[in-house]
Amino acid sequence: MTDTTTLAVAARAVGATKIYGAGDTEVRALDAIDVSFEQGRFTAIMGPSGSGKSTLMHCMAGLDTVTGGQVFIGDTDLSTLSERDLTLLRRDHVGFVFQAFNLVPTLNAIENITLPMDLAGADGDPAWIDEVVDTTGLGDRVKHRPNELSGGQQQRVAVARALAGKPQIIFADEPTGNVDSNTGAEILDFMGRAVTEMGQTIVMVTHDAAVAARADRVVFLVDGKIVDELADPTPEGIRDRMNRLGT
Amino acid sequence: MLRLALKSLLANKIRFALTTSTVVIGVGFVVASFVVADSLRASFDKLSEDIVSGTDFTVRGQLTFGDLTETEAPLLPEELVDQVAAVDGVESAAGTFFITGVTPVDGAGEVVTSGNAPVAGANWTDDAAISQWYLMEGEQPRGAGQFAIDISTFGSYDFELGRDYQVITPTGPRTFELTGVMQFGFPEDAGLGAVFSIFDTATAQELFGLEGMVQTIGLRTEPGRDAAEMQAAIAAVLPDGAEVVAAETISEEFSDAFEGFIGIFQNALLVFAFIVLFVSTFIISNTFSIVLGQRIRELSLLRAIGATPGQVRRSVLTESSLIGVAAAALGIGLGMLGALGMRGLFSALGAELPDGPLPLRLRTLIWAAAVGIGLTVASSLLPAIKASRTPPIAGLAEGAGGEAAARQRWRPIAGGLLAGLGLLLTLRGLFASFNSTTAQLVSLGVGAGLVFMAVAVLSPLMARSVVSALALPLGRIFGTSGRLARANAARSPRRTAATAVALTIGLALVTTVAILGQSLKSSFSQSLQNTVAADFIVSQGQESLPAALAEDLRSADAGRVVAFNSVQAQVGGEAHTITGADLDGITTVANLGVVEGSLDGLDPAGDLLLHQDPAGDYGVGPGDDLDLTFPNGETRRLRVAAVYSQTATFWGNWLVDRGLVTEMSPTAGDTVVAVDAGAADAEGVRASLERALEQYPQANLEDRSEYQASAESNLNTLLVLVNVFLGFALLIALVGIVNTLTLSVFERTREIGLLRAVGMTRRQARRMIRWEAAVVTLYGALIGIALGLGFGAAIAAAIPADIIDVITVPTNQLLLYLVLSLVFGLLAALFPAFRAGRMNVLEAISTED
Repeated sequence: MTDTTTLAVAARAVGATKIYGAGDTEVRALDAIDVSFEQGRFTAIMGPSGSGKSTLMHCMAGLDTVTGGQVFIGDTDLSTLSERDLTLLRRDHVGFVFQAFNLVPTLNAIENITLPMDLAGADGDPAWIDEVVDTTGLGDRVKHRPNELSGGQQQRVAVARALAGKPQIIFADEPTGNVDSNTGAEILDFMGRAVTEMGQTIVMVTHDAAVAARADRVVFLVDGKIVDELADPTPEGIRDRMNRLGT
Repeated sequence: MLRLALKSLLANKIRFALTTSTVVIGVGFVVASFVVADSLRASFDKLSEDIVSGTDFTVRGQLTFGDLTETEAPLLPEELVDQVAAVDGVESAAGTFFITGVTPVDGAGEVVTSGNAPVAGANWTDDAAISQWYLMEGEQPRGAGQFAIDISTFGSYDFELGRDYQVITPTGPRTFELTGVMQFGFPEDAGLGAVFSIFDTATAQELFGLEGMVQTIGLRTEPGRDAAEMQAAIAAVLPDGAEVVAAETISEEFSDAFEGFIGIFQNALLVFAFIVLFVSTFIISNTFSIVLGQRIRELSLLRAIGATPGQVRRSVLTESSLIGVAAAALGIGLGMLGALGMRGLFSALGAELPDGPLPLRLRTLIWAAAVGIGLTVASSLLPAIKASRTPPIAGLAEGAGGEAAARQRWRPIAGGLLAGLGLLLTLRGLFASFNSTTAQLVSLGVGAGLVFMAVAVLSPLMARSVVSALALPLGRIFGTSGRLARANAARSPRRTAATAVALTIGLALVTTVAILGQSLKSSFSQSLQNTVAADFIVSQGQESLPAALAEDLRSADAGRVVAFNSVQAQVGGEAHTITGADLDGITTVANLGVVEGSLDGLDPAGDLLLHQDPAGDYGVGPGDDLDLTFPNGETRRLRVAAVYSQTATFWGNWLVDRGLVTEMSPTAGDTVVAVDAGAADAEGVRASLERALEQYPQANLEDRSEYQASAESNLNTLLVLVNVFLGFALLIALVGIVNTLTLSVFERTREIGLLRAVGMTRRQARRMIRWEAAVVTLYGALIGIALGLGFGAAIAAAIPADIIDVITVPTNQLLLYLVLSLVFGLLAALFPAFRAGRMNVLEAISTED
């Protein structure tokens, strides 16, 4: 899986730039970034706080828009899409896992998992949904509301929701940031299996080297620029790079 | 998305219940208004049918103008009964009477009263179907010494067959033997609470002073006769000034006449219902805004995973439709109870409505559904649109959920426009001339509504500074919890303003009413002071006094007696109320304020006294002639003898001699009899008057201050009624405050937990919440009272000077309102403060916001 050239690209950025404010208060959150995320790979984006890693993810995922350059999901240029088409693209082709508040508190676990399909008015693939629900290991608890589930269970439900619609790519923003390390490992295993066993593409933002080491590839971001990357990383290798980048 | 809306509702039951309750009250009010009015309609429609059931045609004097209810038809000669009966095909015909102001006195000496229904005299006919008087017990009264009484009066007062009772008639009090109990309509009593004394036809004619005449002739034709042919045949024998009218037409005329009153009554109730609904709009909208603000992370999550803005909007609107459906259903139930309550309220205030079934018509249901669902959905529209614009990353940013501090430049502009337009419409409604009252009220109502909306839009701009200023003493009195209460009340001006606006509207209306009420009272007292010179006033509520009473008082030789009566007349095609008074003594009881001409040597038969307003309208002055056409069709040319400037409750803009009115309308009783004691001792005069009035127990003798007090007490009854109805708007405002505060406490769980963690006691936490509520209510109340002062003064100024010429502000009452609002604010905070105090500190600070 190291031969990146043979793999199709799930999402890419070309000269992606994001500027907040103007004049003296101008902040360049993304500075002409070029990056590609291949299909069936698990990529981590790392960087110190304020490096722009979350902004990059938001822009790649169509949650936010770039002020310059282009962002593609598959072959679709997001900058050409209307707000409505962008929403539909997220619904049908992108999966999300956030650090917290991933689930709608008034819906139970299974309803949260099928929510994107319900929004689309589609039934989804029942066999696939059953399989995804099985892998969460929630058992009978799928009928429970989020506040009756543990933090780890909630995040697994969130991952399951991202998987249920068979999106082209899943973006995860510090998915283990709010849980203890054992639970975090469990969630990362779950995400890892989604990539290796189900062929999913996952892009994850994290600041934790141990977490990033579970990915196939790590991209380093500093001051809105990609400064380095690492294939088949180890925690030590990542820490080494991070130290060299001065964080 | 329906599931999401449903689940969201179920997850917030209390909020749901509170929001729903405001709509339920409003819908209930609308339903109750319709049901009560429909119940009245049903009763009176039945009465309209019963009045003519058993007859096919009625012959009556032609109304030259106006409405059946405003004027009485001229009388017919008695011989006409036989002439009509002789027409080929007429099976049966009889003359009938219905004369108000015939009052029986029961065995205990109690005068029979009826609330608002007529107290009247009638005659029975051999063919009972024609008069609709059916003998239920005893025997028909025959001759000058006997009478019968209607069955409901017989049941509720002290009457026994075979005994003698006094009956006060237009020709004076007389004693009759009670021989029978009769019922109007059969088999059901259709009398609707009216009091009837029934005589034979000859006795009735004599008693009512109408010898040789009948009021109407009811007749039935032989079965199988062609109606049109019969009508033509009867019309052929009638003299000029008489007409034959089909029973259905009479029934419709009555029905229309009743509908005139019922429609006004229904619309007056609906006005209050819509005020309540208008206030609820603000509460619903505010609740939705706050709740959606709190759900911003959930909404942005939905947007992130692919909910379109349309889906978010629809989800919110589905939620509000569900609330609307529930509220409409509950409101219909509450409305039925409310209808019973309304009847109870009216009867407690002495305005009994007839009992009867409470009909729930389809129209009522449609209104309930439209208002309940429509209003809720409309109120949630703006919050729903705002929610649908939630960007998907809103929930990902730090500190999400706070109110955007962005300056809203549109507020002063939109607020200014609304205020300008609102004031324009209000002033137009008050001062412009209108063809219809409805158009005027709509202009006024829409104008006032816009002004309130302007207040709602502008209020956030000043809420922070005003609230901070109002709450300044709190920090000094209560220390930290006081300072925090002040900061909390000021921190979200938009929310504070939205919460307060419901109370503002309620109090503005209550204040307006208070000012109008007070101004009416002081104007009345002033006009009594300045224009009424009489020392004593004899009256009988809304009923007229028998004409004989004035003569009896005159012969008691106690002061100068001047009686007043009234009749309608047309001048140049326009109808006016003409007051009749004993012109030779008018100056002793009335200060007319003559501006032109003179009151010396008036000619009772041909002189007219005219107020300066109509004198100006018709361009006439002393010496000019005007032609007045009376209901009996007669036209008299009267000469304007003087133009005056002062009116009072006894007399209006047109004054003629009382004898002229009696001539034109023989059935007109006296509205009021005024007595001037002159130089004689007032106590002595009073004693002689009382002696003379012993035989008229229904008449009230009052001196000026008593007369003023009873007029004020009538006004007070009306004010109580209005305030009870406006109280519902205030109740809703209160629910709004509870609602907002509960939501705010929930929203600040973490913050309150933190305060508790660092040592704030439960007491202090509760106090903080309570005083926040108090400050918000005080803010709303102050603006409301200020607005009410403006509205009240403007309306008072617009009301003609003969009704209100002094604008008085009831300061104590307004202060009381202010204190009450403060108390209600503290009460509204009870539940939220309790929740804040009971909060588990550890759970609170670990809550994810």
